[in-house]
Amino acid sequence: MRFLFKTNYRQDVRLFKHNGQRFWYSLLLAGVLLAPLLMDEFYLGELALVYIYAIAGIGLMLLVGYTGLVSLGHAAFLAIGAYSHTWFLAHGWPFPLALLKASLITALVGAIVGLPAMRMTGIYLAIATLAFAVIVEQVIVHWESVTGGFRGMLVPQAQFLGLDLSGSTAFYFLCLFILLICLLLALNILRSPTGRAMTAVRDSEISAQSMGIHLARTKSIAFAISAGFTGLAGGLLAHKMGYLAPDAFTILISIQLLLMVVVGGLGSLHGVIYGAIFIGLLPQGIALMRDYLPPAVSQIPGLEPGIFGFIMILFLIYEPLGIYGRWLKIRQYFELFPLYRKSTHKRQKSYLRTERMR
Amino acid sequence: MKGVLFSARNLNLSFGGVRAVRDVSFDIGRGEVYSIIGPNGAGKTTILNLISRLYDVEGDGRMTFDGEEITRIAAHDIARRGIARTFQNTELFEHETVLKNLLIGRHIHRKSNLLTELLFTPAVARQEIEFRKVVEDVIDLLDLQHYRNQVIGSLPYGVRKMVEVARALCIQPKMLLLDEPSSGLNPEETEDVAFWIEDINEDFGATVVMVEHDMNLVSTTSNRVMAMADGAVLAIGEPAEIQSHPEVHRAYLGD
Repeated sequence: MRFLFKTNYRQDVRLFKHNGQRFWYSLLLAGVLLAPLLMDEFYLGELALVYIYAIAGIGLMLLVGYTGLVSLGHAAFLAIGAYSHTWFLAHGWPFPLALLKASLITALVGAIVGLPAMRMTGIYLAIATLAFAVIVEQVIVHWESVTGGFRGMLVPQAQFLGLDLSGSTAFYFLCLFILLICLLLALNILRSPTGRAMTAVRDSEISAQSMGIHLARTKSIAFAISAGFTGLAGGLLAHKMGYLAPDAFTILISIQLLLMVVVGGLGSLHGVIYGAIFIGLLPQGIALMRDYLPPAVSQIPGLEPGIFGFIMILFLIYEPLGIYGRWLKIRQYFELFPLYRKSTHKRQKSYLRTERMR
Repeated sequence: MKGVLFSARNLNLSFGGVRAVRDVSFDIGRGEVYSIIGPNGAGKTTILNLISRLYDVEGDGRMTFDGEEITRIAAHDIARRGIARTFQNTELFEHETVLKNLLIGRHIHRKSNLLTELLFTPAVARQEIEFRKVVEDVIDLLDLQHYRNQVIGSLPYGVRKMVEVARALCIQPKMLLLDEPSSGLNPEETEDVAFWIEDINEDFGATVVMVEHDMNLVSTTSNRVMAMADGAVLAIGEPAEIQSHPEVHRAYLGD
């Protein structure tokens, strides 16, 4: 077991708590930086997609995992990001500015969507955000002068300072770079008062209020930040898709994003990454698996969503804390070996909060 | 008594047909330990909820705190005025560590904004360190050093109650509202409660208002006691007076 001897309050504010973390994260960074040397174009593209999912996942995690607000409308934020980024590119804005503006516009829309969220929680909020996603889809279909309607919209090549960013290696590094920035921003939010206010709202609205936290403002900010990250992912996704059409951003995408944060592990940024790897690579895994299955099984329509759903159910029943939660338990097992007991993480019912005031 | 810190006039509140609070008026002096007692359903907790603006006062009822009217301000502004509170069954942020819970108590003192926090500028880092120093003082006062990095969900009930008080103290309030600080605690822990209420009152300089059933605790700590029954005030006075008050006896024991 590792015991940290803390001698300075700054140690609790730092990003890396000890040298071990610094070492492993550097190793991981070296690994992903060297990946283009080791992988062929196809897998590099898949990995870039994983990064894009992770960026959107950070946004959704801040909302669902840290603020406790469920959204089934994140495909809409993805769409708004993708369309506005493409629109800005097509109108001659340089790539970074177009991406930034797309993200800010999505954040603004997010803040507005967040306003009714003050009064709604749980399933009602999920339905409201779902309705919002449907509205956005309709707007995209009918606002032809901007979005091209059903004809769609061609995404211009990503270029910056004469540098072509559309090649698979360049695009890979672009996605990686933006993911790292997003992770840093999210970590910063989480270690400062706004992040704490978000978790406070999640755990107990009533005492958050009594601690001087403005509920409506906090929720609206959470929605805005979440939408901003998702819009950024949308902008990158536009390049990945090459051609935007309204049917690319359906409710299935929203559900997949939600699945990602739940399977990864709610309430941790590690979970986002695990979830993104899971969501990004599972379709490939299923495709590979098809080759080894008897045709009667592998040709069943809807095999993929079926497996997705099945895995979701398994996680909800056996590991609600997701992949990251499972990893923490495994790590604790080795740290405490041989003292670990099976009952260490046994789920307990608590009868304390009977007279909760809502 | 050095002047009046908080005063309530004609507080009324009904839930449907139940009149939970009827024409309650009282003053709390600066630096006092003020207890509210009464049988179940007397409206004690409702009074605290009215003060912390979780419920709206009906009719012409008024509350002033530190010379300012607070009858209609938003619930999240109450902390900023200097009123902190705890809850009867603890309302902590369950999935966070003790330290983070206490840091939330510093929220109203934040000077950073969203942009500086996204970038985590040196000013934000310095602010975090300053917050931490205040939090550590409170941890020292209430002896919570052991639990600093433990998640609330894993703590025993008695410690949670202490953490909740600590979180309220991190606001550095002028007035602290305690809702049954000794409920669910064993006799030994209850004795400790008496000690730290004294500490908070004397060292921290906070006025303490508590709803409490343990008469022993009430009489050892309080300067004054308000007895309530069925939403109305029965009597206000020193602990010994209240304990021998015939109306109070009737409320508890019946005729």
